Amino acid sequence: MTAIHLENLGKTFSSFTALRNMNLEIADGEFVALLGPSGCGKSTTMNMIAGMIDPSEGAIRFGDRDMRGVPMSRRGVGFVFQNYAIFTHMTVYENLAYGLRATGVAKAERDRRVRDMAEFLHLTPLLKKPAAGLSVNILQRLAIGRSAIMEPAIFLLDEPLSNVDAAFRAVMRTELKHLQREFRQTMVYVTHDQLEAMTMADRIAVMDHGKLLQVGTPIDVYNNPSSVFVAGFLGSPGMNLVKGKGVESDGIKRVDLGEAGVSAPLPAHLSDSVPEGASVFYGFRPEHCELTDGEGLRLPVTFVERIGARTIVHMGSDGSAVKCVFDNRVPVRTGEVVSLAIDPSNVRLFNAETGAAIGGAN
Amino acid sequence: MASIAFRNVTKRFGDTIAVDNVSFEIADNEFFCLFGPPLSGKTTILKLILGLERPDEGEVLIDGKPVNHVSPARRNVAMVFQNLALFPHMTAEENVRFPLVERKMSSDEIAPRVADVVEKLHIGHILHKSPAQLSGGERQRVAIARALVRDPVAYLMDDPISALDARLREETRVELKRIQHELGRTLVYVTHDQEEAMSVADRIAVLENGVIRQVGAPSDIYDNPNSAYVAGMLGAPAMNLIDLDPDRPSALGGALPLEGITVPAGATKIGIRPEDLTVGYDGGGAGKAVEVYEVEPLGGVTIVTLQSEDTTLRAMVRGQPQIRPSSEVSLSVANGQACFFNGQGEALSA
Repeated sequence: MTAIHLENLGKTFSSFTALRNMNLEIADGEFVALLGPSGCGKSTTMNMIAGMIDPSEGAIRFGDRDMRGVPMSRRGVGFVFQNYAIFTHMTVYENLAYGLRATGVAKAERDRRVRDMAEFLHLTPLLKKPAAGLSVNILQRLAIGRSAIMEPAIFLLDEPLSNVDAAFRAVMRTELKHLQREFRQTMVYVTHDQLEAMTMADRIAVMDHGKLLQVGTPIDVYNNPSSVFVAGFLGSPGMNLVKGKGVESDGIKRVDLGEAGVSAPLPAHLSDSVPEGASVFYGFRPEHCELTDGEGLRLPVTFVERIGARTIVHMGSDGSAVKCVFDNRVPVRTGEVVSLAIDPSNVRLFNAETGAAIGGAN
Repeated sequence: MASIAFRNVTKRFGDTIAVDNVSFEIADNEFFCLFGPPLSGKTTILKLILGLERPDEGEVLIDGKPVNHVSPARRNVAMVFQNLALFPHMTAEENVRFPLVERKMSSDEIAPRVADVVEKLHIGHILHKSPAQLSGGERQRVAIARALVRDPVAYLMDDPISALDARLREETRVELKRIQHELGRTLVYVTHDQEEAMSVADRIAVLENGVIRQVGAPSDIYDNPNSAYVAGMLGAPAMNLIDLDPDRPSALGGALPLEGITVPAGATKIGIRPEDLTVGYDGGGAGKAVEVYEVEPLGGVTIVTLQSEDTTLRAMVRGQPQIRPSSEVSLSVANGQACFFNGQGEALSA
């Protein structure tokens, strides 16, 4: 039973600051995803939790135990890397049993746990197969099983699905989430893929340039991003961010969006925070656009991507480039000018200079 | 400018049939996508077009002329490789010039041709940089420029953007489509990514074990797959393929009622896209309840995985519905939003 506390955690490599002032509480049994682009500090954070590298500043505690000086092998942490480290000269069974054997678990107990884990990960028919001949997909499944079978209190996964194919990745997302819900380990999952973070985690910690930017449930971070970076990083496509200026007439605040026109009146919780003339990003999710015959943002369609269930319509250019997601049947053609209605309750505003969200959560 | 055609082409490697009696026609200026799993024959077809392999049977035609015995150099078809193999010790400009320098063309001849592709691909501002200083998208454009500077009649790409991360792939595929549209050149494109194939292609050929299973416009194939195999290859999550109950108008042992749905004679399976499988989670529903296995929010949509005895199903629900794992829901599908397949996996029209 282990909560993880990161307190003012920092790491510098000679002159490079990989992580600064990271504070995060991960509850016992929680699934937290560290999400960000390469170089954001997520793997550095995880490597410090694992004990592979030492912090330059701050502290890591598991429950109330300070981890300073505690070697990796004594932290009770299970680890799965992007490059599965499977013993290819052993069978699937031997790989699964390896850690249990090394820690002296009795044979009958060992056999039961290997068979249970094999069943859970659909590896039962492969138990006698040598690992050498297995596909990448199966090897990664085996790597997860070999680590999970030790029932570590803390399970750390660093991009475990980035080398497997897309269809298998979708299946493993569901399986990993299910595994964590069954066994309730504390799980920390490093990924640059917002889809994996959104779909699996209880909470997401979004990072960039060595800084923690926002922590929250996937839906909360998605709906109320704290900055333009988070807004654009989550979602596929990310949130639309159109540059504009606050304008007021007859006491009604709107945002002048240049070529796209003027926005609908801003809702009360936003209008108070936008002085006239203030430069803002007008943000809205691609799925929150509707085509309308009436008033709306006027934008030329530059490209229509029909990709099965969804159609992504690309509109405008440069500062007013917008992507909208519709059902596959939407009757839109490249070259035509469309009118977009956006429900004001779905609009988010950001300070154009700092990138910070304006006004409280909706 | 070139059309490309295969007539009953077969290619074997030892006992393995890599390409099995394949015929198709690619129109001039078409963006044609070869799509299938690994070892389905996609890359072998590219090599047959390039002339790096010769068919054992059948004929490859470029602009209507048989080219089985024409050398790769004289086919004038350009290849953009998977790893965008730019020379790391050369600048972007030297990379683009390379194919012409290699042909011993004079500087006076080279200059206008390089200027032309540089303008078309908008790479003037990065010509002085080395490949290591370029972003993935920029390397992409330099690699395409280098392929195009020879002025080929068609160009081929083998999974050119698979190494990029998800966000960059989504942007680059749109860029590729735009470039192809502006250049107006025949492009044969290999990918194993269904979304990429649907996004970029004018037409897709879906391959399995060296055989083309279906050719058509992306939305045609998505809406009207001719087999369970093709149905399963396009769409993420994949189409749900469910056994029909033998003795009554339902599937999943009564959990998916099909009263009022036209089921063609001979159908053994119903295929339902995740976005067409309706999940009822506020009580009611005509069928037996099924259990929610996992719920995955994506923000704009939510994927709900369901478990009904031995069958796992996926539904895509709009928005952010309040559905909880282990709760019970009902299932339904509207008439006209399902496909049907017989025991051989062939599609049947309703």
